This record gives sequence, C-alpha cells and structure tokens, in this order.
Amino acid sequence: MSSAASTFRGPPTAGRPVFQTSHLGEIEWEPECELFLPAGLPGFEAERRMMPLEIPAQRPLVYLQSLEHPEVCFVTLPVRTIDPQYQLRLSEDDRAALLLDPVRQPEIGADVLCLILLLPASGTVQVNLDAPIVVNLHNSRCIQSFSTERAAGYFRLGDDHWEPVC
Amino acid sequence: MLVLRRRVGESIVLGEDIEIEIVEISRTRVKLGVRAPRHVTVQRREAVNVAAENRQASGMLPSYGPDGVDEVLRLLKKHLNGTAKGAGTNADM
Repeated sequence: MSSAASTFRGPPTAGRPVFQTSHLGEIEWEPECELFLPAGLPGFEAERRMMPLEIPAQRPLVYLQSLEHPEVCFVTLPVRTIDPQYQLRLSEDDRAALLLDPVRQPEIGADVLCLILLLPASGTVQVNLDAPIVVNLHNSRCIQSFSTERAAGYFRLGDDHWEPVC
Repeated sequence: MLVLRRRVGESIVLGEDIEIEIVEISRTRVKLGVRAPRHVTVQRREAVNVAAENRQASGMLPSYGPDGVDEVLRLLKKHLNGTAKGAGTNADM
C-alpha cells in the first residue's frame, strides 16, 4: 500500500513495545507508523493517535487501529481501489491542519494517503467518498475531510462492483 | 429562524457564555470565531452526519467478525480482478 502503514506480522518480536487490541490481538507499536490526528475523527474526538495496519492476506484492506482505546478500530480501503479516477479536493482549513502546501492540492500517493471507511450494510459494505481520511505522508498528520461541496456520494459493494447508493 | 445582520468584528451571544464573532467575510464564505466553554461541542453541521457514520464504521469488526470481513474481501477482490482486466489498476492510494 504505502510506507505509512505497518504490516501486521502476527505475534510481536520480543523486546519491542506492543499494544493489545480488542480485535486484532497484540500489535507491534512502530513509532514511525503512528498517525497524529490533531482533532480526532468526528464522533471519536479523543482518538488522537492511530496506527494503520495491513494484514498481507487481506490486502488492500487497511485497518486503522486507535492507540488510545484498544476497542476502536476501523476498516478502510485506499480510495483509488474503489474509484481509480478519484480526485481529492481539500479545503484551505484541511490543508492547514495537515501542514500541506496552502496553494496547491496534494497528490494522492505522493503527498497523501487517502483512505475510505467501510460502513457495514447488510452483508456487504458501503463507503462515503465525500468523507476520506487523509494522511500527510511527510509528517503523519491525519484528518477526516468532509464538505458539503463535494458530491462523489455513497457506493455499495455489490456482487463484483461498486454501485451508487441512491 | 432568527436572522441577524452583522459586520466583520461584530458578534452574537448565545445564552450567557457562548459568543460567535464574524472574523472575515469573502465572496462566498464567512469565517466565524466561537468562544464557548470547553464542555460545549462546536462542530460543522456536516460533521454531525459524518460522526454518525464513523460510529457505524467502528462497529464493522465487532459485528462482522473475521468471517464477515473475509466475505467483504472476496467481493472486493472479484471487483479488483474485473478492474485489472478492464482498464488496468492504479497503485496510488
């Protein structure tokens, strides 16, 4: 996926700091992979430290595990696995929160990692492409960006494709 | 709805200890400053909807469990294989 995520390697190596999670078991805490969320996430304002984790057999899923509360863990996908043409538009405020260049829009992959939360939806999942989680790859700051101006909308994972949710 | 006209630097007060000041007005936007006690949650309207979705998203692992996640993954890989055959994949995330 990207250098921002840690790969879940099963039982931790002796001597390395570990974090006990509720759903993924013990994970190795890798400071270089830790994300800092200056405002948490809406509904989870206390979650200021999170760790992105990949399980090789479950790629391209990325777990976002809270380092504050072991039971808080989100399942996400890199946005372009859903929509290869997805264009990220961050507001001035969002760019300031991520300490990004205030003038130009960031590039997914080069400047930022862009993840979408999976929402459970009767046996499958849906996503809101208008509320991506954006990580500055250069400083690990992370926010959830949302705006009333975007209209990428909701998509549900059907039998083998993403279909728009009306 | 109560509608008030204000200029930059002016403010309105809600109750006894919440003050909203007009900081800047541009062509399409208004920048507001809010002074409120720490226990008062101040957020944009759209954040309320996203917060509800995030709470729903945090229930994904507990409610689906590993088998449910595997099923989602199976559907996802089917989709990704289709995409790869059709138009190529995009490795950027």
